[in-house]
Amino acid sequence: MSVAARIAGPDLHETSVAPRSRSRMLALVIALAFAAVGGQLVRLAWQNEDASTIRVSMMSSPANTLARPDIVDRNGRLLATDVQMPSLYADPLLIQDADEAAERLVRLFPQIDVRELRQSLADKSRRFVWVRRGLSPAMAQRVHNLGIPGLLFVDEIRRTYPAGRLGGHILGRVDIDNRGTGGIERYIDEIGASEAAVGARLSARAPVRLSLDLGVMHALDEELAGAMVRYEAAGAAGLVMDVLTGEVVASVSRPGVDPAVYEDALDPSRIDRIAAGTYELGSIMKLVTVAMALEMGRSLDSMVDTAEPLKAGRFTIEDLHPLGRPMSVSEVFIHSSNVGAGQLALSAGAATQKAFLQKLGLWSALKTEVSSGPAPQKPQQIGRIEQITLSFGHGLATTPLQFAAASAALMNGGTRVTPTFMALDGEAPVVRGERVVSARTSALLREVMRRNVTDPAGTGRRADVPGFEVGGKTGTAEMAAKGGYRKKSVLASFIGTFPSSEPRYVTLILLFEPKGQDVTGGEITAGRNAAPTTARIIERIAPLLGVPAKSL
Amino acid sequence: MRILNVVAVLLALSSAFLLYGLNYDTRMIERSLHVREREAERARADIAVLRAERAHLARPERIEPLARRLGLEPLSARHLLPGPGLAAGNITTSSTSVR
Repeated sequence: MSVAARIAGPDLHETSVAPRSRSRMLALVIALAFAAVGGQLVRLAWQNEDASTIRVSMMSSPANTLARPDIVDRNGRLLATDVQMPSLYADPLLIQDADEAAERLVRLFPQIDVRELRQSLADKSRRFVWVRRGLSPAMAQRVHNLGIPGLLFVDEIRRTYPAGRLGGHILGRVDIDNRGTGGIERYIDEIGASEAAVGARLSARAPVRLSLDLGVMHALDEELAGAMVRYEAAGAAGLVMDVLTGEVVASVSRPGVDPAVYEDALDPSRIDRIAAGTYELGSIMKLVTVAMALEMGRSLDSMVDTAEPLKAGRFTIEDLHPLGRPMSVSEVFIHSSNVGAGQLALSAGAATQKAFLQKLGLWSALKTEVSSGPAPQKPQQIGRIEQITLSFGHGLATTPLQFAAASAALMNGGTRVTPTFMALDGEAPVVRGERVVSARTSALLREVMRRNVTDPAGTGRRADVPGFEVGGKTGTAEMAAKGGYRKKSVLASFIGTFPSSEPRYVTLILLFEPKGQDVTGGEITAGRNAAPTTARIIERIAPLLGVPAKSL
Repeated sequence: MRILNVVAVLLALSSAFLLYGLNYDTRMIERSLHVREREAERARADIAVLRAERAHLARPERIEPLARRLGLEPLSARHLLPGPGLAAGNITTSSTSVR
C-alpha cells in the first residue's frame, strides 16, 4: 500500500499520513526481528543440552549390549564387574592380502580356525567381520604392532569375575552380548537392574549386594578341598545359612565352575550340588522325623520299641548296631536308629508324615534368585515301606539347600525360613516366617542336636569345637545307582548348627563317595569324615561371622 | 525519525555480532565439554579395570598363602578371650611360630 503510494507520487492528501504509517511499519518490522532473535536465543539455551547429547550418541556406534551393575558380597567385596575391552574386527575391503593377514592373526590367536578366518577376510562384499572379542590391552597392542591395514578395534563392555571360581555357581554367567544366561546374572536382568547400553558405556547403577561372604566362602572351599583329599572323596559341597533370615552366607560345590569359562557350566560333573542337584540325604532326615514326633506330643525320653527289626513286605529294616532293647527318642537320634525312626513315622501315620514334609518345604521345588530349583523325587504313594524309608532319608531326594532351610526353621524357634542369595538390609528387623513347629519342639531339637555332639557315644562327637556349642546330626546314605544302592559308595553328610543354645547358623556338609582311610579307622560313615570336617569349618568361620566363643 | 532508524539498525547489527559471538563460544565450550566427557569416560573405564584388578589381587585364594608365609593363621577359639579374661591379665600367647 505504501509502496503503491510512493509510486503514485506526491499527493496532498496522502503526504501528511504516509510518513507516520511508514515509520510505524518500520518499527513493527524491527520489533518483529528482535522478537525473532530473542526467541531464537531462548530456544538455543533451552535445547542446548539435547543437542549435545544427540551428537555424543551419534559418535559412538550403537551396539545391543547390556551395561550391568557390579555384584558385590555382603561386605562390599567385588565379585563381578564390567570393564571396557577392545574387540578386534576387520574390514575385508581394506585388507590387501587375506592369506597373510589370517596367518599372522592365527599365530597370535591359536584358537581361531585359520581357514574360516581366511575365507571371511577374503570376502570383499562385507565391510565388517569380527575377529576376536574382548582382548586384553596387551593383546590389542600386539595386534596393533602387526601393522595390518583393515584391522580395527572397537571398545566393548565385558564381564569379569575377579574372585575367579569362588561363587561361580551362584553368579551364573553372561553371553557374548553381556546378557545374563544363568544364576544371579539372569536374575539381575529379570528384575531390570541392567540397562541397555550404547557402545562401551559402564553402568551407573548401584551394585547388587549378595548375602555371600567371600571370606567364609573361601574358608569353606578350602576345607572342602582338604576333605576331598583326606577322604579321597569324588566331590564335596557345603553351605552356611543364617537361621533367622535364610541368607546363604556361603555355598560351595566342588569341583566348581569359573563363570568366565563357558565350558565349565556345561560339564555335568560340575553341577551345583547345593541348589541344582537332588540327593537322598540319609540319616540327617531323622532330624525331621524326630521333630514330627515331638510335635505330636512325645518327649525326648518317651520310649520307642526298637528291640526287633522292622518288617515291611519283603524288606527288613535293621540297625547297624542294634541295642536289642527299647530306646528313648533322644537315643534314636543319637544312635541314629533306623528302626526307631521307622517306628516314630509309623506311629505318626502316612498323612501326617507327608503333611509335615510339605510344611517344611521338602515336598516341592524350592525357587531362589539363582534358579527355580529341581523338583524333589518323591514316592508316588506312601505305604508302610515308604513311611519307614522316608523316616531315615531314603526314597525322597531333595536339594541340600532345601534341607538346610528346613533345618534352619527347626533350629530358629520354629518359623519358616526362605533361603535367599541377596543380602537383606542389616538395619531392618527380621521378619519371621509363619510357624512350622512349636517353640518347645525347636528347643528340644536343639538340645538333642547338642547332645549328639557331647555324648561320648554320639555319632556327631567329632564335630565339636570348644567354645562354639556345635550341635548336629550325621547322615551316611548309600548312593542310588542303576538297579539299586551301592554299599561302598555313600553320601556322607552332616547338618550342624552353632551355637546350639541360641543358633545363628546352620551348616550342611556333604562328602560324595569318601573312601576308608587310616584316619577314619577304615570307615566311610559321616561321623568319621563329614563331622570332623564340619568342626574344622566352624572353627574357621565362627570368628569371621562374629559369633563369640564361650569361655571354656 | 532518522536517528531512530539508525539506532535501530545499529542495535540490530550489534545484536547480530553478539549472537554470532555467543554461538561461537557455545561451540567452543561444547567441544571442550566433549573432550572432558571423553576423558571422564576413559577415567571411568580405567577405574573399572583397576578395581577389578585390585579385587583379583585381593582374592582370598591368593592372600591366604601369603598370610601363612608371614606366620599368620586363621583365627580360632583359642585366640579369643572373653571380656573378663583380659582384666585378670591371663593373656596367653598364641602358639604360632614363624618357623
